Amino acid sequence: MSNDLVLENEILNLIKSAFNAEGNVIKSRRVEVFVKKDQVSSVLLFAKEQRGYIHLSHSTCIDWIEEGEFELIYSILSPKDKIMLYVKTRIDRDNPVMENLDGIWHQLNTYEREMREMYGIEFPGLIGDKEFCLEDWDEIPPMRRDFDTVEFARKTFYQRPGREDAKDVRKTLTEQSGEKIPDFATKYSRE
Amino acid sequence: MEDIIYKILGAILTIITAFVVGITYGGLTRKVIARVQNRVGPKFYQNFFDVLKLLSKRTAINHGVMQHFAPMFIFTSAVTVLMFIPILHDGLFFSNFSFHGDLIFLLYIMPFGPLGMALGAGQTGNPNSAIGVTRGLSQMVGFEIPFVLSLVALMVQFETTSVTEIVNIQVESGVWMIFSNPFAFLAALFAMFGMFRYAPFDIVGAPAELASGPASEFGGKYLAIMMSSSSIFTFAKLVLYVNLFFGGAENLVELLIKTFILYMVPVVYGLVSPRYRTEQSITYFWKWPLALGVIGMIWAII
Amino acid sequence: MNIVKDKKSQHIVDYIKEFARKNSLFVMAYGTGCGAIEIPPTMTSRYDAERFGIRGAATPRQADVLLITGYLAVKTLKRVIRVYEQMQDPKYIIAFGSCTINGGMYFDSYNTINALDRYVPVDVYINGCMPRPEAVIEGFVALQEKIQRGDADNGKKYQENIDWYRENQMKVIKNWNMPDYNW
Repeated sequence: MSNDLVLENEILNLIKSAFNAEGNVIKSRRVEVFVKKDQVSSVLLFAKEQRGYIHLSHSTCIDWIEEGEFELIYSILSPKDKIMLYVKTRIDRDNPVMENLDGIWHQLNTYEREMREMYGIEFPGLIGDKEFCLEDWDEIPPMRRDFDTVEFARKTFYQRPGREDAKDVRKTLTEQSGEKIPDFATKYSRE
Repeated sequence: MEDIIYKILGAILTIITAFVVGITYGGLTRKVIARVQNRVGPKFYQNFFDVLKLLSKRTAINHGVMQHFAPMFIFTSAVTVLMFIPILHDGLFFSNFSFHGDLIFLLYIMPFGPLGMALGAGQTGNPNSAIGVTRGLSQMVGFEIPFVLSLVALMVQFETTSVTEIVNIQVESGVWMIFSNPFAFLAALFAMFGMFRYAPFDIVGAPAELASGPASEFGGKYLAIMMSSSSIFTFAKLVLYVNLFFGGAENLVELLIKTFILYMVPVVYGLVSPRYRTEQSITYFWKWPLALGVIGMIWAII
Repeated sequence: MNIVKDKKSQHIVDYIKEFARKNSLFVMAYGTGCGAIEIPPTMTSRYDAERFGIRGAATPRQADVLLITGYLAVKTLKRVIRVYEQMQDPKYIIAFGSCTINGGMYFDSYNTINALDRYVPVDVYINGCMPRPEAVIEGFVALQEKIQRGDADNGKKYQENIDWYRENQMKVIKNWNMPDYNW
């Protein structure tokens, strides 16, 4: 594999110029682009129809609670170029609504149902059961970072005595390596 | 008076023998399967423990009347079939009712157990049971035809329907049926594959896809009764085959050797075979076994 | 259940019953967590649990032993309770791994229970993450010893303390829509 990243820069520049988007080459065979929320479908369709990115590898969500945003990531792969393209977009955390894109790849339906259940993101027109993995869930969506799992587990499930001395692993690790835990991590820390 | 006492004692002895031998054969089968799969395997008397444990379980499943009757149907059917088959050639204790029943009666009474089972399994309401029953009855339609053809060929050849007579003719002439009409024997052997329900014809039980089929709602004592009656039925069918095709047996040792060799044929065939689908199983019986049955019939007439 | 009136004869009957139960354990083929992957090597030719009379049963009606192989989500717990209530007495539960003991690495998860014996009675715990097939077989042997001692009848215990167990179960399973089984 050559290291001059020709194909990577080509696809990056193409999307940058066509959609007025940000982006960069992460490393060999990995390209990320940041697009606006209403441009996602056109970028995905462009990549799929014109450039041969026919395989949807994964789609997930990241909770940027400090910035008040959710980041949605669509990882798509071109079997010809062997490049994984990450299409990233940010949506408002207080009003999390995203376009339903399972017409492009039908398997997106599953990922979108998961995100709806785990992060509470609404996809208007999404077909499928409201309950995906959980049953009878009436708290806030559990993968949001303001949901305190430890407190919830303590409240809901019986804790067998004997593991009170269990420490936060991050603390021990940072002490060993002499690093510092970033502020945003300590803000929602478990201790 | 003495006759009746002998009859009663003989009947009890026959049932006990059939039970012990059938269960032991089941255990030996498990051992053989384990050895082929490069395992040590259970003890050969493991199935006695299983039956004893199942009998000692507290059973509290209630789906209705037929569900409670179904294991009794199978047990009755198995014992009835056993009673009308001469176990030994001229045994004092083992002749039972064999002079009164004939092959046609046996053909009539043999599907009685599966049909009773079908009623019971139908009442449990378990979808697996319903599918299992459907498969079992379809498969029975498959293997009954070569089986009946083979038996009819036998009746035509010996001009009698009595099992005792058939054994006597074979012993007197010294030629076993397997040599005088090999085609009828082959047809019956293929039918036996379906009867014993080892792979590839285990579509009724099929633990991986049907959760043991008709038996899926039966536990504890009912399962014990079903296990023991299927052992008795297995023994009865083996003895019938030995009588019809291998010239019967003079004593128990000879009988055990003959039945065991015969029993190992479907077991060993099943060890190397995956499972058929239902329609594959039926078409299997309607191809070569059917043709062999017809050839056997023509052979008998000529 | 007493078959005979005489106490000494009852002792002999009990001994035979427990001997048979001990030597013939039908295991419910129901894998709940990651530990289910340890069952195939335990059953097949490398470790061959059939030597001890352990064999698989296809339905809960025929089974004696229920293996809880690893962490239990609340959703799975519901199914486990249904399976356990359909099994016939005497019935045993063997729980695998740290997750069933105190939550293991999922102790702070929002959806996995932490202590299994609050919801169903457990006979034998096998610790480890995951226990190897040797440990599984040792767990089975421990269960056999327990049966021979005659103190492994947890189905009865479950029926007697059903209110306590139901209370705990309903605490985590909010929408209780399960049928009542006749034991």
